Amino acid sequence: MDKLSKEEVEHVAHLARINLEEEDIERYRIQLKKLIDDIDKIKDIKNYDEEMLITPVTFHSDLRKDEIGSMLDYKEAMKNVPASNGNFVEVPVMINE
Amino acid sequence: MSKYLNLELKEINKLLKERKIKPLDLVEEAFDNIEKNKDLNAFITLNKDQAIKMAKDLENKEVDNLFFAIPIAIKDNICTKDLRTTCASKMLENFIPVYDATVIEKIKQHNMIIIGKTNMDEFAMGSTSRTSYFGPPKNPWDENKIAGGSSGGSASCISARLVPLALGTDTGGSIRQPASYCGLVGMKPTYGRISRYGLIAFGSSLDQIGPMTRNVYENAALLNILCGKDEKDLTSTRREKEDFTSLIGEDIKGMNIAIPKYFVTDIVEKEILEKFNNTVNLLKENGCNVEYIDIDYIENAVTLYQIIAMGEASSNLARFDGIRYGYSYENPKNLEELYSKTRQIGFGDEVKRRIMVGSLILSGENAKTYYDKALRIRDDIRKSFLKAFEKYDLIIGPTTTTVAYNLTDNLDDPSKTFLDDILVIPVNMAGLPGLNIPIGFNKDKLPIGLHIIGNEFDEKTIYKLASYIEKTLNLNLNPKGGE
Repeated sequence: MDKLSKEEVEHVAHLARINLEEEDIERYRIQLKKLIDDIDKIKDIKNYDEEMLITPVTFHSDLRKDEIGSMLDYKEAMKNVPASNGNFVEVPVMINE
Repeated sequence: MSKYLNLELKEINKLLKERKIKPLDLVEEAFDNIEKNKDLNAFITLNKDQAIKMAKDLENKEVDNLFFAIPIAIKDNICTKDLRTTCASKMLENFIPVYDATVIEKIKQHNMIIIGKTNMDEFAMGSTSRTSYFGPPKNPWDENKIAGGSSGGSASCISARLVPLALGTDTGGSIRQPASYCGLVGMKPTYGRISRYGLIAFGSSLDQIGPMTRNVYENAALLNILCGKDEKDLTSTRREKEDFTSLIGEDIKGMNIAIPKYFVTDIVEKEILEKFNNTVNLLKENGCNVEYIDIDYIENAVTLYQIIAMGEASSNLARFDGIRYGYSYENPKNLEELYSKTRQIGFGDEVKRRIMVGSLILSGENAKTYYDKALRIRDDIRKSFLKAFEKYDLIIGPTTTTVAYNLTDNLDDPSKTFLDDILVIPVNMAGLPGLNIPIGFNKDKLPIGLHIIGNEFDEKTIYKLASYIEKTLNLNLNPKGGE
């Protein structure tokens, strides 16, 4: 990548759902540019095989039986929820906000 | 204060069986060690009340295995029920898991006593443990130096002999590299050997949990109980039960050992190469056949790692949205602001950089240019390693290119943290097992390590060679000289 613009940094931050303060954008621009230069080196690699390695294990058909096992207790599952209302997880208004 | 914890586990076990010591003696000694060495900042959370309670509960139980009542430290990205698990991040500063990771269940089944959760790089992203929200752990050989990372707290606490056993995790060298910097034995087992259920995911196709210990035997013995198929992790592999200690002490004569030429180029410090070459000579003198080989694309492994690890991280860390657990931005205007400000404030710089680059890599056509291509070349690296193992029993090299550097060095370069792991990353790419064994010190008395790589699921042969080197070199690996 020749250069990374301020707008591109803002676009990437939006994709990642990370808010950036105006004064931080230039710092991130320089750092991200460095990392993108690193990964751009992959463009120079030639003559590789087409087969992909998605994960280093060979999968056998080893799925567990489709039965109801022990499940997390509802109260336990809610323990770390930052905002709740009765049995529900609370989130900001999404419709007609 | 007694020093039972400096004894080998077999000796501690004997004393426990003979009722000459109690589990509480071991636990009290561990917390005393930690208190006296709190400047090392090796722990994020201590489990003192529960550990003491468990020690008392174990008092009248039968001592039924080598690990009974032995204090163990757990890296803070492995979920422990009712014990805070932070991943060294503000995001999970107050997170209390509601279930145990599978490895923790195994540890509890063997009545080991969890002493606390060790410091690390935030979400295991880094090579120095300096990205920890709780400040960096220090190297017991020189407290101005890094302990390495990301399992820096686990390495620091084993090196300083605070506890005898620790768990680390290794995505791109995070067990082996800090083990090298701190002078201990660290094993990243074959991908699939140990269940990842309950390990907070970073790079799912790379992550593996492993043992970090003072010596080879205890490392192999701990791996014996950690491994196995787990229905909760599809990538864990079903294998015949085996004893990883079974080849320890056997003669190494006739072993075929390869050294990738790339591992001994001028990227490695001279003093490290000298120690490495001394070890190679030792192996030759004792009947090993040692040859130099090429591994395809090994010089590109860091680039591939950056793409795969950052891509997978961006996807894995999407779960931190401020809704179900973890830090949550207060009074957001809408859902979008909840996400983006929670993640702005909850994550540190290194994590944010990696998520952003990872999001870019996986977006639109970039996925083909970067991620897909990286997976294809990754396959070539693995095949090249596997081909080498048709002829050789083991592959070796130095674990790191430098010794532990100053805590204040190299803070401004976002690429440096990847380059620290240049010699250990290829193993994660191929999913192979790799181990660090100390082979000496530099002129400043900082540890130097040897990296032993095995064929997939052949940890036993790694331990065979490592035990030979350990016995022959007979190094004093206690930073305080065994006081």
